[in-house]
Amino acid sequence: MNATDIQIAICGSAGDGTIAAGDILRNAVAAAGYRVICFDVYPPEIRGFGKCISRLRITTEQSYSLKRQSDVLVSLDDSHTIPHAGEVRDNGAVIFESQPISPCAEGEHMSGHVLPGQIPYGFPIRELAQKATGGARSRNLVVLGFIAGLLGLAPASFQKIIEKKFAKQGPKVVARNQAGFQAGFDAGKGSFKLDDAAFGPFEKPASAGKVIMLSGNAAVVQGCIDAELATFFGYPITPATTIMERLATELPKRGHRLLQTEDEISAMAATVGAGFAGARAATATSGPGLALMAEMLGLATITETPCVIFVSQRGGPSTGMPTKTEQSDLNAALYGSPGDAQRIVIAPTNVEGCYRCAGKAFEMAERYQTPVIVLLDLYLSNRYETVTLAASGPPFVLDANKPLRRLEPGEVYKRYALTADGVSPRAVPGDAGCMHVITGLEHNELGRPNDSAEMHTAMSRKRHDKLQAALEHPDFAVTKRFGNTGRVKVGILAWGSTFGECLEAMFMAQAEGIVCSAMKVVMLSPFPTKAISAFMDDCDAVLVPEVNYEGQFAQLVQGVLARPVVRLSRVPSSPMPVELILGEIRRLSGVTASAIAS
Amino acid sequence: MNASASSAQGPRRYVIIGNGVAGNQAAELLRERDPDSRITILTNSRLLFYNRYLLPQLFKGHQSWHAFLANPPEYYVQRRIEVRRDCRVVSVDTRNKQVKLAHNEPIGYDALLVATGGRSHLPEDLADCRSLFHHFGTYEAAVTTRKALPDNGTVVMLGGDMIGLDLARTLLAVSCRVILVTHETTFWPHKLTAEERADALAALEKMGIELIDGDARGGVTSVEAGAPGLPARRVVFRQGGDLYGDVVMPFYGLTPLVEFMVGTGTDIERGLLVNTTLRTSDPSIYAAGDVCQIWSEQDHAYRFYYGYKNVRAMGAVAAINMTGGHEHFATTQEETLGRDGQGHIDSPFWACE
Ligand SMILES: Cc1cc2nc3c(=O)[nH]c(=O)nc-3n(C[C@H](O)[C@H](O)[C@H](O)COP(=O)(O)OP(=O)(O)OC[C@H]3O[C@@H](n4cnc5c(N)ncnc54)[C@H](O)[C@@H]3O)c2cc1C
Repeated sequence: MNATDIQIAICGSAGDGTIAAGDILRNAVAAAGYRVICFDVYPPEIRGFGKCISRLRITTEQSYSLKRQSDVLVSLDDSHTIPHAGEVRDNGAVIFESQPISPCAEGEHMSGHVLPGQIPYGFPIRELAQKATGGARSRNLVVLGFIAGLLGLAPASFQKIIEKKFAKQGPKVVARNQAGFQAGFDAGKGSFKLDDAAFGPFEKPASAGKVIMLSGNAAVVQGCIDAELATFFGYPITPATTIMERLATELPKRGHRLLQTEDEISAMAATVGAGFAGARAATATSGPGLALMAEMLGLATITETPCVIFVSQRGGPSTGMPTKTEQSDLNAALYGSPGDAQRIVIAPTNVEGCYRCAGKAFEMAERYQTPVIVLLDLYLSNRYETVTLAASGPPFVLDANKPLRRLEPGEVYKRYALTADGVSPRAVPGDAGCMHVITGLEHNELGRPNDSAEMHTAMSRKRHDKLQAALEHPDFAVTKRFGNTGRVKVGILAWGSTFGECLEAMFMAQAEGIVCSAMKVVMLSPFPTKAISAFMDDCDAVLVPEVNYEGQFAQLVQGVLARPVVRLSRVPSSPMPVELILGEIRRLSGVTASAIAS
Repeated sequence: MNASASSAQGPRRYVIIGNGVAGNQAAELLRERDPDSRITILTNSRLLFYNRYLLPQLFKGHQSWHAFLANPPEYYVQRRIEVRRDCRVVSVDTRNKQVKLAHNEPIGYDALLVATGGRSHLPEDLADCRSLFHHFGTYEAAVTTRKALPDNGTVVMLGGDMIGLDLARTLLAVSCRVILVTHETTFWPHKLTAEERADALAALEKMGIELIDGDARGGVTSVEAGAPGLPARRVVFRQGGDLYGDVVMPFYGLTPLVEFMVGTGTDIERGLLVNTTLRTSDPSIYAAGDVCQIWSEQDHAYRFYYGYKNVRAMGAVAAINMTGGHEHFATTQEETLGRDGQGHIDSPFWACE
């Protein structure tokens, strides 16, 4: 399907420039017109320790996930790379240092771990860096050059990116890195190519928009900016921190504000306060922070205050595994507040989705006067993809926050008026004649405390029903079905970042002749009962892959629909392997391994 | 400290330097005879063992290296034979029983087999021109040479050993022009009388090879890049005169690859000296293939034995003796340069199974 489909993994120790090399590579190939999906894994430890891996899949058309096996593996540190040797496919390339600076014990050199089907390329990385730049720091650039030379990539786009990346550090640093790249490029070009990783003939596809390279968190930021986010309050936490960091630069440029609060409780409280005041407001956190925000989230629900909370999940519970991806905060996002704390929860499935969901979240929050949680995860936050931004401008309709009509003389303003669609007229402080009471207490239509059973029932129904409209709104993505239509052997129901892996697995299964489809579920609350139920009607078996141990989404589906699903819940500390999903699809469709082999 | 792979606790460790016919034959037999052992082949090649005898076929059309592989990758996995490619051996520490790799990694051994074969010999006078020659000893070199040779191009062969003459047959078949500058190594490793040689040279001419008597011109003194508008290489003779070709290939026989054994105390003449059990003067080290000179009772001298059959047999004998056997090497290789039905030369060295 793809003319070009190459995955390159660069592995090193923190401080080797591994992630920087991945960054230059992905930007260079994207500038050359390729589509990229890239995920970096790095250690929680400080510089100088721990493993860093940058994996990039480069394709002609956008792919949905990384491949299980890379075509090229580069070692900048053998001790970290050796365990990954098996990741390279047969006839793929393993590139490593042929002249390490110090003696290594037997078995500690990369060459000893290249499998018989793979092609070893040892070359003097450090020596070339020394000769070209007078130091060994540019080893990562030498390696990039080698890859470009070996795979026949034009150096021009690399040179431009290198120039841009190091410009701030002055012309000397730029020149040094260019020289390192060139030395590697010459070595790669001069190496006899024995592997079969190749860039296919490339025709730049006509794209209706601007193609840019973004991480999931950067896409969230872009979405916030395009949705004209006015205030952001946050407290840093991996993997959400870069949302705040980027906004800290971007918001002031536009006359907007960002405040780092003392903790997540006050970040959420300030967000609710800003939303109450009529400012477009957001915060971002991860699981532990979400736990602290639970009480204030409830306040946003009962006060019907628009606000957006970006939650990037990591391994939990508690501090858990800060640098490992997981999808185990679903229950917390759905239910993590006391009371019937209704809210909208949406989960993008790729980087483009992060952009879209970010902007749409504000639309929803304001239209339905509700907190909206955008559920990301580390894999999505940190991975990079080429994203097409529509030439027609941001696809967000942000007109629900418009000022109230003037009240008629003698008219009493009811902040929580019980309306047909459950959405009440919303005034912000200062609107003439609209003074009203707002507390965390259950209230009547005026906002005054009221704990009668009738009013509590009416208000609970109001808060519940108004959100249901989001499921039907034409502007909001709720679910989408891919693959075979009509009756299928296996239907995959997936949410969040795991959907990409599911889609890859589905395509592979289809290629094997298995009739199957996959449904991505973007809106998790309110639950899209109708759409999912209709999908399940079509499936002999429904598979729910997700990266958590308890099968939180599977439980949700079963709880709402009382229909059986097959769970594939795993916590591999990494994205769900495509092969695992494929194996389940095969099993459920009754295809045996021998049938596949033949 | 002795860091060898001493068999006191673990399985016996066999290390083979060289991934050619001899090394691979030995590895296969070692595995059969010592199923629990650890077997490691070290090679500076990036490819698994492939059939170099078939390399002339590259000149008939492009073929991927896969077509030349002697065994698929699974062969090594199934037999638990570790092949460490892209690893050059630079020395052997016989006291500690360790092989040293160029990247500074020691590999311990209990028994070592040296099977590094030979490299294409280049007379000292021509050493400076090495980069201007077109080579043929490996898949990579052969492909590079083929790419440099235009259709119906001219190949100048210097020397003309049997490896080169085998290639010459293919080149003629694909309508290339072959000019052979003769040398004492022409027909190497066949040993011919003056009369046999004259007869064989005549046969070459009959095949379509253009002969130039190298000795009569004082030998080749240098190879240079050709001038613009002329073929890519110029061959200059000591006594004047020159010759142009698109590629220039040295075929002066082979030099055994033993540099890394120098200083080990193991006996070396041109190759590694071994007795008929293929053991060197170091009881833990054996040698097989083009790299070794075997004691010949008949000649009362150490001599080389070439050809596929011999090399394979050496690999087998070495493996048997490394695993406690007591086998002697005896050649079964026919060595007479013959003629085919058309009167063209035909060598028993060209045959391989
Ligand atoms: C192109 C070509 C065609 C030939 N055709 C024929 C033919 O048709 N018939 C015939 O009988 N003979 C032929 N020969 C000769 C034949 O190849 C040899 O006799 C035979 O291959 C010798 O086998 P070997 O195992 O001793 O060494 P080789 O096959 O030469 O293998 C030596 C191995 O040692 C490795 N090595 C060398 N030095 C080091 C080091 N320092 N560190 C690590 N590894 C090292 C090399 O990479 C190689 O893998 C041909 C030779 C060539 C080059």
